[in-house]
Amino acid sequence: MSEHDTPAVKIADDPAFKLPTSLSSLSMPLCIGGVAVLLIGWACGSSVSAKFGMSAYLTAFMFCLTIALGSLFFVLIQHLVRAGWSVVVRRIAELFMVMVIPLGVLFLPVLATLLFGSGTLYNWDDPTYAEKNFLPMAIWTEKLRWLNQGWFTVRAILYFAIWSALAVWYFRRSVEQDETGEKAVSDRMQYWSGPAIMAFCGATSFAAFDWVMSLAPMWFSTMFGVYIFAGSVLAAHCTICITSFTLQRMGALRDEVTAEHYHDLGKFIFGFVFFWSYIAFSQYMLIWYGNIPEETHWIFERQLGAWGWIGIVLILFHWALPFLGTMSRHVRRNAPLITFWAVYLLAMHYVDLYWMIMPEAGSSMGGFMGVVSSLFCVVGMTAVMIGLVLRVADQTKVAAVRDPRLQESLAFENI
Amino acid sequence: MSENNEKKVHGIVAEYTSVDSLLNACRRVRDAGYKKTDAFAPFAVHGIDKALGIKPTVLPWIVFGCGAVGAVVGLAMQIWMNSIDYPYIISGKPMISLPAFIPVAYELTILFAAFGAFFGMWALNGLPRFSNPIFTDPRFDRVTDDRFFLYIDSKDEQFDEAGIRQLFGDTGTDYIQTVVDDDSSSKVPKGFFVAWAVVIGLSVIPVLVVLKMRLTNSNLPRFHVFFDMDFSPSKDAQQTTTLFADGRAMRPDVAGTVARGDMLIDMDFMTGIDMEALTQVDARRAERLVRSFAEPSPQQAAEQPPVAAEDEKVAPEDDPAATDAAATPAAEAAENNDSQGEGSDEAETAKPAAPVAEPSVMDTTPWLTENPLELNKELLERGQTYFGIYCSVCHGLNGGGNGLVNRRAQKILATKWIPPSKLNQSTLAQDVYPDGKMFNTISNGIRKMPGYAAQITTRDRWAIVAYVRALQQSQNASIDEVPAAEQEAILKQQAEVKKQLEEQAAAEAAQAAAKPTEKE
Amino acid sequence: MSLAIPNGLDNTVERPGERAPLVLGETDYHEITETVCQVAERKPSTSWVIGFLISFALLQWLGICILYLFYTGVGVWGNRSPIFWGWPIVNFVFWVGIGHAGTLISAILFLFRQEWRTSINRAAEAMTIFAVACAGTFPGIHVGRAWLAFWLAPYPSLNLWMWPQFRSPLLWDVFAVSTYGTVSLLFWYMGMVPDLATFRDRSKNKWRRMAYGVLSLGWSGSSRHWMRYEKAYALLAALAAPLVLSVHTIVSFDFAVSQVPGWHTTIFPPYFVAGAIFSGFAMVLTLMIPSRKMLGLEKLITIRHLDNMCKIILATGSMVGLAYGTEFFIAWYGQVQEEKFAFINRAFGPYWWAYWTMVTCNVISPQLFWVKKFRTTPWIIFIITIFVNIGMWFERFVIVVTSLSRDYVPSAWAYFSPTWVDWSMLIGSFGLFMTLFLLFCRLMPVINMAETKSTLAKQIHLEEHGYGNH
Repeated sequence: MSEHDTPAVKIADDPAFKLPTSLSSLSMPLCIGGVAVLLIGWACGSSVSAKFGMSAYLTAFMFCLTIALGSLFFVLIQHLVRAGWSVVVRRIAELFMVMVIPLGVLFLPVLATLLFGSGTLYNWDDPTYAEKNFLPMAIWTEKLRWLNQGWFTVRAILYFAIWSALAVWYFRRSVEQDETGEKAVSDRMQYWSGPAIMAFCGATSFAAFDWVMSLAPMWFSTMFGVYIFAGSVLAAHCTICITSFTLQRMGALRDEVTAEHYHDLGKFIFGFVFFWSYIAFSQYMLIWYGNIPEETHWIFERQLGAWGWIGIVLILFHWALPFLGTMSRHVRRNAPLITFWAVYLLAMHYVDLYWMIMPEAGSSMGGFMGVVSSLFCVVGMTAVMIGLVLRVADQTKVAAVRDPRLQESLAFENI
Repeated sequence: MSENNEKKVHGIVAEYTSVDSLLNACRRVRDAGYKKTDAFAPFAVHGIDKALGIKPTVLPWIVFGCGAVGAVVGLAMQIWMNSIDYPYIISGKPMISLPAFIPVAYELTILFAAFGAFFGMWALNGLPRFSNPIFTDPRFDRVTDDRFFLYIDSKDEQFDEAGIRQLFGDTGTDYIQTVVDDDSSSKVPKGFFVAWAVVIGLSVIPVLVVLKMRLTNSNLPRFHVFFDMDFSPSKDAQQTTTLFADGRAMRPDVAGTVARGDMLIDMDFMTGIDMEALTQVDARRAERLVRSFAEPSPQQAAEQPPVAAEDEKVAPEDDPAATDAAATPAAEAAENNDSQGEGSDEAETAKPAAPVAEPSVMDTTPWLTENPLELNKELLERGQTYFGIYCSVCHGLNGGGNGLVNRRAQKILATKWIPPSKLNQSTLAQDVYPDGKMFNTISNGIRKMPGYAAQITTRDRWAIVAYVRALQQSQNASIDEVPAAEQEAILKQQAEVKKQLEEQAAAEAAQAAAKPTEKE
Repeated sequence: MSLAIPNGLDNTVERPGERAPLVLGETDYHEITETVCQVAERKPSTSWVIGFLISFALLQWLGICILYLFYTGVGVWGNRSPIFWGWPIVNFVFWVGIGHAGTLISAILFLFRQEWRTSINRAAEAMTIFAVACAGTFPGIHVGRAWLAFWLAPYPSLNLWMWPQFRSPLLWDVFAVSTYGTVSLLFWYMGMVPDLATFRDRSKNKWRRMAYGVLSLGWSGSSRHWMRYEKAYALLAALAAPLVLSVHTIVSFDFAVSQVPGWHTTIFPPYFVAGAIFSGFAMVLTLMIPSRKMLGLEKLITIRHLDNMCKIILATGSMVGLAYGTEFFIAWYGQVQEEKFAFINRAFGPYWWAYWTMVTCNVISPQLFWVKKFRTTPWIIFIITIFVNIGMWFERFVIVVTSLSRDYVPSAWAYFSPTWVDWSMLIGSFGLFMTLFLLFCRLMPVINMAETKSTLAKQIHLEEHGYGNH
């Protein structure tokens, strides 16, 4: 029925599935350089204040973590719905999802701040916080039953345990299939994807409450987990798009990833730009309309000074511009164009996290040093993550070469 | 075939039984260079647009355009309706509350875009089109079931019946037919029109009835479908009821509770009346006034607000038991515009019959002539704030009597409306209308104006009185009253404004002069 | 052009790399036409007639109740201070929720290329429209003077000299529900045109042919028409998908923008949407299971279709459960006294029975669908979906009534009891819904023949050529 030629399935050892050496040689430099840049960024931030340095670190950490979590969700959902189109790009997401393990290590500095018990990063960690802010002790003691060093640490370990278990299990199965081509492996992955997604959603939602929402300990929003989730799935789709474009430029997957796959990734990017705005708007609208002091302070602080401008930037450039920009199918089918939008949206995703996290550091944007610190932290952390992704990718293939649905994915054509 | 030759030939159609054979035939026809071709199928055949060379549609652009129009219309409509044409503030939200306007704008965006997609698609397809020569052949009925057809129009440049039959013959079809004009009757059965006319006729009747009722006058009394909606069983003040044992509709305060403000008993301050003087004039009334404030026992509380209740009772007659509402309004009405009234309705009805009688209780009351509060800038600013909140809606921000409510009443030609007083008129000047009296008016209301004792604290009511005095003065002020230091600046400003006004007048005059010449 | 797939084939099993067939039996295009058209062309069956008579009687009863309400006033309901919303709004939200499955199936599943939707989307869309009709009735009569409901429209009124208040979520609702009704109707009708043309071409009777001829707008099946038609369909789907999200979001705003404890929660928009899809799918299944049997459509609405819908119910039911949990957690975490009380009161207050009915039906009963046996046995699905319907009605009851009955001022607390009119209207609304649905089964193509044929064409193509060759 179709008029275009479907590429034949190549053998598993074909160089098209191998990470190009030009990229694999970058792994070490990226890791080492990344750590250095990250440390510089953190040091710059600490020169503003200890809290600012850690906040910049947390922003960068959340940026990488949301990409990894979004990728994990992408993989799980593809198995859950037995998707065919995505097989050629699924391995890219799998490479990013296993990054939750190194990110667990990178979370240790955040946990370390709790050792000092002086509100270095989280305000609730400061024993004098309630007194300074005239909070009723009855409420504050109840709050501390959830927000205390010990229980917070246990939960963090729990979240990482869930994510790592899922990521590792799915990654291992997928790599195993590269060798054996066993169809039963697909069945097993599909079988467990339902419970896996439920565990994922619970852990992610509560991690968002713990790590970002609790920065403002008195503030609460039931939707917050969904908000972080929306951003992370968007970021994951952008990352997959950018990575496959880069791989193709460097010589891998040239015939495998076609305009059809970019078209689909583009649709999802468009869809999640919309979904993110929907969630962000709903959250803002309900708090704005209800207008009760328990909730509005969080948004009010983010409308003062520079934060207000960043909020407007988010409306115009995280929603309006990319929404119009990725609406056309011609854009989505054009790999360089949609990749441009993916890079752009990742940058906006960082701005979104920055707007959520940094106002709590209490030093506005921290002047020149503050901006440098924020940028260095995120660049450094991302470099470390990419370096590690390349390292893992070098030891395996860049596509699920023996997936039984690979043929369908290659032949896939949009209406 | 012989009869076909006499009719106009529209094209040639061939039948296929499978998607693959149709697609193959399409490609062959396309490669043979035919342009005006079409394929017919019971479902959307994937890949046929390429096989036939059909160009993509402009529909997405239509939909995008409609959606953009919907968004703009939605936002503009709401902003115009709620913020410009009839602006009012709801739950403390700004006039243009964008977040609250987004849902409707969003829905309209989708609605308009959906209309664009739906109607745009039919328009581009040239549908509805009920008569189509291709339907002439009964075999074509199967195109909506399980058959596929390929058609070449006679308008095609290369059209050549024999050649096409040959071409079709090679594509594995077993049925080729020439499409000719439909010769069946094009008459629509009469019953159809009759039914249509009946439906239209019947549906017009309600509209006509409504229009007649709208446009004509009637002397018949109003028809009350829902009697208890038109005549609510709820009680008015001072009425009786069977619901409560004591038979009164107005309920006393709950035992053991004190109404707000009742604990304060600086009587002069609370009433605006010089109580010492009142004791001289009318000791009984003074006593009752004090009692009503001091001990809000159930009986008296029911007669709140105190001053108004007093005024009603204190008629020229001495005996309070004999006082009755009828006498007082007549007396009050004599005072015309600036009198202290009780129930506005009573005042109104009594007005035409008002004879000039003994001086009203309002005049005999020894009002405080001075504001008991210390006048300072802070107090005036407070007065200004509260005047702005409560008074300016009717009296206008400058006290000129032309606030928003008044303007609206005039716009809709409200018949029962009594225009609010101009606060700078001479009858309200301090020497004829003492501060205490004005305070009393604010507290208990006059004519259409309700009392504000429940809404504005006593102190703030006095602040408003002070501010109104300032307003009055500002309207009739001379430059000498301004401190010397600021005189110069004001004079300069005045000169500038005057100059501007003159220039404007001159320009208008010039324009007016120019117009007639243009016409000629 | 036919394909022989055994009728008893278990098409719920799908080997990775192969796609299980969605149309069973010795099937060709004509067979599909016959199967679908016979539903409307043959004489009505006894069960149809009985069902119709019962539904129609209930509809009459609803009409009588509405007249009684108009004549006497809203006091005939159990709505009393402080529970002014009561059952009418519970029923409204319930029916709007039911109305979400149709457009979700036709729009969102279309965008996700879930081809199994083709044989159920038509009936589901019809249900959407009928459910929206039921839903629209309740706020319409709840305004008190229903004959003045047109005041909600922004028209230049010479009597009022004013405009509707666009900052009110209730007015957003008017726009959202009417837009949803309109767009669903367009979508449904547009999807039906090619099938109405089939009806037209098969009609023997002149009048019938003329009626379907007018309805099918002269559809000829031209490829150019199909191309624009498909584009328009995709565009409408792309518009309807965010519309589905927005409608229940805006319904949730009715509650969530207020400050009533238990209502003012930011999770409401996505949680309401998930709940709506959940209840909508349950209702689709409740109706689909008996009708596929009675109308003889088992070859087209296969066990695989039921299986897939059960999975969606499981997914959305779990989302709803997660939202319940999150609400509870944040009510505690937020440490706002009233909010905490509202949630404890829900679970352990005077309406504890409603709350636990809701949790049992909505969170626990769909978890049975983890077991494949339950997903593939029609009568079990039927029972579970009825539980889900009940649970979702109770969810709205819990939200509306428990929050209103006990808010900030304890002296104004009260307990809500429905009257016989409340009961009658709830049951009567099912009469309206079923009457319309049964009429639809007789008069319109219940399954999208054109799309099912195109699914069959793909199935045949795969069978003959596999992926990617031609």
